[in-house]
Order: sequence, then C-alpha cells, then structure tokens
Amino acid sequence: MKKFLITSAALLAVSAISSSAQIRLGEGQLSASFETNTIKYVEDGGLIEPTPDDRFGTNNYLKVDYTYKKFSAGIQVEAYLPALYGYELGQQTDPKKFFLGSKYVSWTDENFYVLVGNVYDQFGNGLIFRSYEDRQLGLNNSLEGVHARYDFSRFVSLKGMYGRPRLYTDYAGSWVRGLDLSVSVADIFNWENILLSLEGSYVNRYETLDKDAYMDFGALGLDTPQLNMYSGRVNFGWKGLSIKGEYAAKSKDLATSSSQSATPGAAIFAEAIYSWKTFSVSGTFRMLDHMGTMLSLYGNGTGNTLNYLPALTRQYTYMLANLNPYQVNVEGETAGQVDLYYSLRSKTTRHRYWNFHVNYSTAYTMSASQSVTGTRQLLWSDANVDVERQWGRNLKTSILYSRQEWSPSHGGEDGTYVSNIFVGDVTYKFDRKKSLRAEVQYLLSDDYEGDWVAGLVEFNFAPMWSIFASDMYNLEGTKKNYYNAGFSFTKGRTRIQLSYGRNRAGYICSGGVCRYSPAYTGLNLSLTTSF
Amino acid sequence: MHSFLKTVSVLCFLTLSFFASAQTLPDVKVEDAQGKEISTRSLLTGKPLIISYWSIACKPCIQELNAINDAIEEWREEADFDVVAVSVDDVRMQATAKAKASALGWEFTCIYDANQDLKRAMNVSLTPQSFVVDAEGNIVFSHSGYTPGSEELLFDKVLELSGK
Repeated sequence: MKKFLITSAALLAVSAISSSAQIRLGEGQLSASFETNTIKYVEDGGLIEPTPDDRFGTNNYLKVDYTYKKFSAGIQVEAYLPALYGYELGQQTDPKKFFLGSKYVSWTDENFYVLVGNVYDQFGNGLIFRSYEDRQLGLNNSLEGVHARYDFSRFVSLKGMYGRPRLYTDYAGSWVRGLDLSVSVADIFNWENILLSLEGSYVNRYETLDKDAYMDFGALGLDTPQLNMYSGRVNFGWKGLSIKGEYAAKSKDLATSSSQSATPGAAIFAEAIYSWKTFSVSGTFRMLDHMGTMLSLYGNGTGNTLNYLPALTRQYTYMLANLNPYQVNVEGETAGQVDLYYSLRSKTTRHRYWNFHVNYSTAYTMSASQSVTGTRQLLWSDANVDVERQWGRNLKTSILYSRQEWSPSHGGEDGTYVSNIFVGDVTYKFDRKKSLRAEVQYLLSDDYEGDWVAGLVEFNFAPMWSIFASDMYNLEGTKKNYYNAGFSFTKGRTRIQLSYGRNRAGYICSGGVCRYSPAYTGLNLSLTTSF
Repeated sequence: MHSFLKTVSVLCFLTLSFFASAQTLPDVKVEDAQGKEISTRSLLTGKPLIISYWSIACKPCIQELNAINDAIEEWREEADFDVVAVSVDDVRMQATAKAKASALGWEFTCIYDANQDLKRAMNVSLTPQSFVVDAEGNIVFSHSGYTPGSEELLFDKVLELSGK
C-alpha cells in the first residue's frame, strides 16, 4: 500500500506540474503526454487465481515531441515497475523495466517525408503489414528503422520502410522491409467527385533459421529465411457509395508459434458502405487462409504479430455483451459483418430523435480439415439490434438485444454455446451539470456458466467529477460477484481515475485483438495528462 | 544505464513542463469521409474550430458529438465556427464508423485517422478528447473525458475567441 501511495503522490505531483505554465520555446513547439495505469493487488479468497507475488503493478508511458517547422523529433519512455498482472510483455524472459520505447526524427516537406526511428504505419487494410501501439494490450510492434514517402504530384504516391520490429520490451531478431504504391486513377483522368485508386504492396521478413539448436524449422517444411508477402487493392468512392477490395498472399511460413507445418497464405478483404440521408449500411467480408504472420519465428503471444487481422465483430461497451469475445482464427476463417443505421429525427427540434441499429457478424472455419468432424464449423455469430431514443434535452434511453453463438473449441469440434443478452440504458440530465446514467443487463444461457446479471450506476457533475459503481453476478455457475466502484476527476487535459474492484478472468480485447487477463482484485489508479 | 535514463527522462519531463509552448494544429494526412487523403491544415477556414476525437467503442465520445450536434444550431446563432470529428477507428471498424457518422446526421466534417498519425501528433492518449483551435491554427483549449454538459466548455471558448 505504501508503494501505491508513494507512486500515486509522485504521479499527481508530475501531473500538477505538467498542467501549469506554458511558455513559448523559440519558434519550436513542445508537446508531451504522460499515462500511468497502476494497480495495488489485494488478496481475494473468492478467486481461484493467485494474487501476484509483488501485489503491485504499474505501466507508465511518457511521450515528448518537439516540432520546428518541417522538422520533428520525439521519444517515448516506458516504465513497467513491474508490468501489470497478465500483460504478456511482463511475462517474457528478463523483460526490461525502464527503457526508451520509441524515438524518431522526421522531416515533412511538400511532397516527401522521411523518418528515422520507430515507424508506425499500415499498408492497405493491414493484411500484410501494420505496426502500431495499443497500451491496453501492451502491444507495440513498431519498426526501428527508416520510413520514407514520396508523392509524384497528386497522381502517384510511393512509400517504403526498413527496420527491425519491436517485440514486447525488446526487438525481434528479424528484419522487415516493404514498399507501398498508390495510383490515383481519378486524379489522372481528372474525374470530379469520384475516387478511384489502385494500390499494391510488398513486404519481406528476413530471419535466419539457425538461431536455436532446439528448433528444427526444416522438419516443419520451412527452408528459407525469406518471407515474401504481396497485396493488390482497389478503392472506389462516388457520392454516398464507397467500395474497397484487397487480395493478399504470402510465401511459405508458420502462421503461429504452434503451427505444425509451413504453408503459403492468402487473404481477401472487401468492404462496402452506402449512405443516403440518415440511412446507412456497411458490410465487410474477409477470408483468411494461414495469414497469421509473426514478427519472429522464435517468439510467441499477441505482441508477436506483423500484420493486422482483427475479429470482424461488433465492439460493445456493455459488460455482459463482451463476456465471451470472439478471437480471430488466423489459420483459416471466412468472416463478415453487416451494419444498418437509421435515424428518425424530429423536424421541429434537434433534441428529439430515434436511432436504430442492426448488426450481424459471423465467422466460419475456412476448410473442413480444421475440425475433427471433417465439416466447416461455425466459429461465431452475433445478431443484435439496439434502439436509442432521445426524448428531449434531459432524457435518453437505449435498449439492446444480442444473440451470440460461439464455438468453445474454436471450430475444432462440433457444438456451440448460445447467449441471449438484454440491456437497458438510461441517462437523465437534472440540469446543465448534473446527470445520472444507469445500465441493467441480463445474459440468458443454458450453456457454460449459465445466466448472468449486471448493473451500473454513474453520477456525473460536469465537467470535472464522475462517480460510478457496477456489479456483474453469475447466477448459475460460479455464483461470483465482480464489483467495481470509483470516481474520476478531470481538469483540462488531466484525468485521474481511482477505482476498486474484482475483475473476471477472460480476454481483454482492444481493436479486435485480444489478450488473456487473469482474475484479480485491486485498487486501480489511472492518470493521463498532456500539454 | 537504467538509473541514468530514469534521471534524464524525469528531468526532461519536468523541464519541458515549464517550457512548453502553445501548440498549433499539426499538419498530418488523414482521410475524408469518402476515403480521399487530405491535410489537416486544410481544415482551417479562418474560423474557430472544435476538434473532437471519437471511435465506435467510445460511448462518451459519441455522446459528446451528439450533444454538440444537438446544440449546434443554437450555438451558430451566436458564433461562427467549424466542428471536426476525428475517428480513430482502424480498418476493423472504419466502415461502421463512417456509416454511423452519416446516419447520426452530424452536421460537421468527419475525418478518419486510421493509422492514428494525428492522434500521435496531438499527443492524445485518451478519448474523449476535444480541442478548440483559433482561426490561425493555435490550440487554445483542450479537455479530456466527457460528462453530459461539459460540451459547453468548448462553446464558451469559441465565444471567447469570437469576442462575445
């Protein structure tokens, strides 16, 4: 507790200082942000999982950027003292605790851009390459190297990168290089109000196969240190219609650290959006065949990923709707998602309207051989509808129904679990500053842990204070309570949240990528500040 | 080496805290609603600008933008300004985000920062996060988080910039 209090006091002092004076430094500009997520773990006899030995975890990020005209430079220092319980980066062999997580210098001109340092970029839809940071997942796979872009007028754009990828708190032993070309056909022919571009990318990963005497990649069918990946894309837009398509392929590779043989991979991605007044529909389809790609053949885990293959499912903000999130099957799946939105608005006042939303997402194994049954299996389906009603300036209500069906064996065997989830959500504004929000949720299921019930109450005093309490209770299986209560305080760009609660073991997902988190009970301090 | 790094970074942070200058809107490439690449400096039209970050999974962000949209007609009777909603949804949710923004009838510019270049450049580590930018592109106000009613802080700043 003493450690937690000292850390909290230090963090509050830093944030108080950072939100103070702003003085111009020459013609250049400085900006910075600081974020901490600190937990004091508490012994909880109600949980099967052990409490971490250290009873303390803290993930911290300090990012500082300097810009002077076309020149920019920056650093990000990270401290895991130690890493929060369940974060894969803290579970690596001898992880770094305090280090320079990323740095860069860059020059941006009219038609070109060069960066030396950590590269964050994505080619097309990320099927063959995406380097990004997600602090909730403890993921940062940026490339330490060089990144450049050149625009040949407004018709053609070429970018390239070369570097070694970051793997948790260290760097992977591979080298990644790539080129991405985009040609704007609509601009070449001077078509107005039409977008048509043709694009293509190439990515190569090089990693020697003889670094570990215990790993025989030859026996798995991998005989070259080179991995080549390609993609071709088309983007089209006209009035309310927008269409995207991409085909990607890769040479022989191990899709995951547990793959038993090296296989070539392929993927198809298609997306369409149509909007007319307050009606919109969007659809996304994706087929993956052994497209999982690791940064390093010697690594494992969520962070060991070179491309971006997120689950194509709805992102919920409700606890019970997120209880069993779908994780993508990178060995092979065919998945799709459709959304329909319609808003019915009053002609006399802007404060009264209905918002309707229907969503359906599904995923199947790609081939019959992925299941012991010899047939293609349903991995996931979710049919859901929500209706939001703004009754006036003060009252808003929402209801949601979701039917989720998922394969507990991830398509390996027959049989699925079904959950029916019902949510009611109401927000009432007492006056210009005070408001109350409450949620009631129920999950109805004959499978797995049976029925659940959950509730949340949040009272807000705008613009600074918010207090909240929630509980999630399993009625038929474990019969455990997962409670949480706390408050947040915001001033300018500084936000502090302190909460105490019990967290259920399960997958924490962010952006469709998930990491496993063990159950724990603790006091959690989150602070973000920037200037 | 570690203690050296620790000392240097803490000193840097404290020093920079005191010597930070007012920021201007960074010039970063993002996409418009149709998918065409645009420069963020092109968003400056000589009027004050409210910039608000959101994503499909950020419920309070959508609440804030809905609240701004509900009040925008009344606000514009008192001051002339623009609003830009910056979606940080990546490729997974971008189609849904575009469909949602269109259906909600938001009467402001929607831009899409799928690679989060603008988010990184503006040092946004938490959403909701909103900024008020003056006609010259200087960031004059920012606020994290959203509670119903706190959108009025943004309008108060716009009124101040408009000399009202």
